[in-house]
Amino acid sequence: MNEYRFEDIVSREEDKANYTRAEFTVTVTAEMMRSFLDITGDVNPLHNDDEFAKSKGFSGRVVYGMLTSSFYSTLAGVYLPGKYCILHSVETAFRFPVFIGDTLTVSGFVKTKHDTTKTMEISAQILNQDGKKVGKGKILAGCMDE
Amino acid sequence: MTRKEVFERMNEVFRDVFDDEDIEVNDETTADDIEDWDSLEHINLVNAMEEEFGVKFTMGEIVALKNVGEMADLIISKLQ
Repeated sequence: MNEYRFEDIVSREEDKANYTRAEFTVTVTAEMMRSFLDITGDVNPLHNDDEFAKSKGFSGRVVYGMLTSSFYSTLAGVYLPGKYCILHSVETAFRFPVFIGDTLTVSGFVKTKHDTTKTMEISAQILNQDGKKVGKGKILAGCMDE
Repeated sequence: MTRKEVFERMNEVFRDVFDDEDIEVNDETTADDIEDWDSLEHINLVNAMEEEFGVKFTMGEIVALKNVGEMADLIISKLQ
């Protein structure tokens, strides 16, 4: 787990070459889909019925967009800034379907730092194993004081 | 920049942050007058004002503000 303090963070606005960024990879499993269903109760067949999803032109059931977006929580809370994160908001967009077995690369960089409010705007994106952008996000996060 | 011009630009920032084109702020406007003005939107508002006017506030200055009029005065003092 990263332990960035606010003072450690360098935004791309401040230094276009050496700004603070992070990434990790994760593979989506059927077990994750079951867990997400248990938590949310979202029984929509596009996410739970292979035949239904195929009848709508997909190769199989589609991973919940909000499951994919939940990795922004990990990006902020574990990597950027990590341990001392206070997550204020996440704006997310779903660009391309994700399927079970896809390996996702979740990445983000600090676009802007706001000293007064001790917050940072993180520009984030998620790529699949083919390099296709499946989602993008805008995260506002702060750092806890020492 | 005149106080009126500062207010016009502030009003646009308020409309952007709260996503409400009907907002009209004045000297006496406070968080009680705008339904969605909570702690998160306050952070967004301060960040947006700093970007709009190219100024930096301190947290002490921010917490001392009583209304939008005082915010305008603070911005004007930093622009001079």
